[in-house]
Amino acid sequence: MRRYETIFITHPELPEEDQATLQEKVRTIMAGWKGELLKIEDWGPKKLSYQIRKNARGRYFLVDYLTEAPALVRELERTLRLNDGVLKFLTVKTTERLAAEQIQALKEAAEAAKTLPVEERPAPAPAQAPPAPEEPAKTDEGGEKK
Amino acid sequence: MKPPMKRKRTFQRRKVCVFCADSALKIDYKDVKTLNHFITERGKILPRRISGNCAKHQRDVNLAIKRARNIALMPFTVVGS
Repeated sequence: MRRYETIFITHPELPEEDQATLQEKVRTIMAGWKGELLKIEDWGPKKLSYQIRKNARGRYFLVDYLTEAPALVRELERTLRLNDGVLKFLTVKTTERLAAEQIQALKEAAEAAKTLPVEERPAPAPAQAPPAPEEPAKTDEGGEKK
Repeated sequence: MKPPMKRKRTFQRRKVCVFCADSALKIDYKDVKTLNHFITERGKILPRRISGNCAKHQRDVNLAIKRARNIALMPFTVVGS
């Protein structure tokens, strides 16, 4: 089993039902190719760092899943590519090989998260203290600014 | 006559990179807050000699920043006004 995550950005003005259909499609693909969906996270509309198809904002979704079949990833990406509401997507393989017990633990964690109401779920992005600021950066950086 | 000895530039060099020092700190392309420490104001990736990262972690940071750029979490360039 491999663990992947796919981020996709949808058009911010896409109606709510279309967003839901898209999520439903993701679920169908997972079921159809024997993938194990761990979670779909909705990050909501965010400002993009650069414009994509003239859009300054986009709604982010994160899909975390396990699968044996690379065909699933291909199918998922194909679906996203064909959907006009999707501005951009990126798939990353997070773990190459998972031991059976790890898979089990992940599945159980995903199952537990599902039963919890949305408000009580642990925050997705751990608010870690940022590393010490790069002090030496100031010395060489001077010429570059402005 | 010997030319005067060039004064060696003395500066404190960070001994270890932040990721080696703190193993709890993970490099993730979704964690823009952390990655922002490793780019300049124009959005360029800071070189190792400035960021103080070790080779391994610099590579990871590099990859993470490039992924973040791809999905518009981070800018390719910041054009000054």
